[in-house]
Amino acid sequence: MNGILPVFRRNLRESWRSLLGWTIGIAAVLFLYLPLYSSLGGDGQLEAMISSLPKELVDTLGYDQISTGAGYAQSTFFGLIGFLLLTIAAVIWGSAAIAGAEESGRAELDLAHGIGRGQYALESALAVLVRLLWLGAFAGLVVWALNGPSELGIDDRNIVGASAALTGLAFLTASAALLAGAATGRRIWATGVGAGIAVLGYILQALAKQSKDLEWLNALSPYAWVYQRPPLSEGVDLGGLALTWGLAIVFVVASVFALRARDLRG
Amino acid sequence: MTDTIEIDRLQKRYGSRIALHELDLQVRPGTVFGLIGPNGAGKTTTLRTLVDVIRPSSGSVRVLGEDPRHGGAALRRRIGYVPGELHLEGRSSGHRMLSFYAQVSGSRDATATLRTGRELADRLGVDLSRPVRTLSKGNKQKVGLIQAFMHRPELLILDEPTSGLDPLVQREFLQMVREAKSAGQTVLLSSHVLSEIQQTADEVAVLANGRVVADGDVASLRLGSIRRVRAEISTTDAAAARADFDRVPGLGGVEVHDSDGILSISGTVDGAIDPFINVLARFEVRDLTVEEPDLEESVLRLYGASAANAGAATSEAAPTNEPPTRRARRGREGRR
Repeated sequence: MNGILPVFRRNLRESWRSLLGWTIGIAAVLFLYLPLYSSLGGDGQLEAMISSLPKELVDTLGYDQISTGAGYAQSTFFGLIGFLLLTIAAVIWGSAAIAGAEESGRAELDLAHGIGRGQYALESALAVLVRLLWLGAFAGLVVWALNGPSELGIDDRNIVGASAALTGLAFLTASAALLAGAATGRRIWATGVGAGIAVLGYILQALAKQSKDLEWLNALSPYAWVYQRPPLSEGVDLGGLALTWGLAIVFVVASVFALRARDLRG
Repeated sequence: MTDTIEIDRLQKRYGSRIALHELDLQVRPGTVFGLIGPNGAGKTTTLRTLVDVIRPSSGSVRVLGEDPRHGGAALRRRIGYVPGELHLEGRSSGHRMLSFYAQVSGSRDATATLRTGRELADRLGVDLSRPVRTLSKGNKQKVGLIQAFMHRPELLILDEPTSGLDPLVQREFLQMVREAKSAGQTVLLSSHVLSEIQQTADEVAVLANGRVVADGDVASLRLGSIRRVRAEISTTDAAAARADFDRVPGLGGVEVHDSDGILSISGTVDGAIDPFINVLARFEVRDLTVEEPDLEESVLRLYGASAANAGAATSEAAPTNEPPTRRARRGREGRR
């Protein structure tokens, strides 16, 4: 045996360009949105603008808290565009990890060598996790850096919590895609399941906001698990955070068994 | 000494489709074993089972003394494998790719493995500095061969290893197989090109429709004895010429076209070619082609009946028509 975690290292080596691209994208979004707050939010301009929108729309987009710095960062980045970007990255990486490798024929060659199937699934998952952690940490770092200049007034610890929530959501999506790929070997299934979980989670919590009768839907939405209690103003809900990360880890472990159990597709 | 590969009554089903019917195969250590058969005969399925890419529906498989399913990564480290459909994608160079596989396979140090890989690349003539996805099909295949050979595995499992290679490189490849054999490595290779197997293999199994329809040493299978012939002769008496050819033993499937004193004859010669040549020599020969038929044709001609009957063979087929396989021989011995 030469060298540790060969699959993990290869995956990272091959994806640094794309990771750089995502990093730049996230930086661009944050530098575009957050500095606007000081010019919009301070004098109630933003509040006036929001109050002219239909209440249902404001609730759906999570703009109800937008007049505070924490609410603004949550509704523009953590709850919306950052969530979208990390979800897309998670779906792409999660479905490429096993299903993509299998469809391209690479998994057959890899797994005919001295690499175990469980090892393959775990190292692939780890490579996705590390990339998502990087994006999440980087986003948190930029928010922290802009916190003062943009007069957001967010507690530093809450930035950590919100970043962990965002990363956890993305990793849950990625691990769902990974599991679907491990079970079927089909990229389309992996992408569908990953994106499906993310979209469903978002829709369920948006519906839950519309009426008291639908609030129970929050229980089914990972998005609500970590975001229902506003992480940037009130601190992240640790139970929800643990549930999200825990489920993601369960999916990763399940994908080990799923990949071990079946024939590879040729 | 136990066999390097022992396959016993291997069966593989995909839903209702049966890819392999109770396949038996033994490969002795240090030999080159050829698996031939038309496309779709079950060659790839068999080979993929040996490296645990797919799992048997029933029957047992032992590779280097272990069940591939349980031997896992440690067992596969001792095997070199070229998949039947090699897809190499990605931005990384051939060198990077080989360096990855050098780390995960073989018992030697990765740098030593990689050095062998570089030597093989020089020998086969492939540029390892280029991204693998930009390589031509033939050059990708060369990289595929290198990753299987470079860690000097005890067992080489090569699925259609020469596909896409030009004749010169094919020859180099056959040399590599011979060298592997001299070094004590065991080689199992599949092909749908008969001559390739004839040049390297000590033993052969012929697969058709998921069954071994014949096995033994290459010569005993008579596969090479069928040739497709085509000739053009000048003659004024087409009918007499035709009658001459009708008397040639082993000449079958004859088609004759007569146009302006030029007679075109095509057909297949089963067995000795000499009688056919003798008759030809009486005429002015304007053109002559003698070629190896494709494998499908040979297999079906020679073993078509037994391949078709193999399903029935389990329920006591006519003894005269039994396929020339180990299983059949074992069965006969049992009855004695």
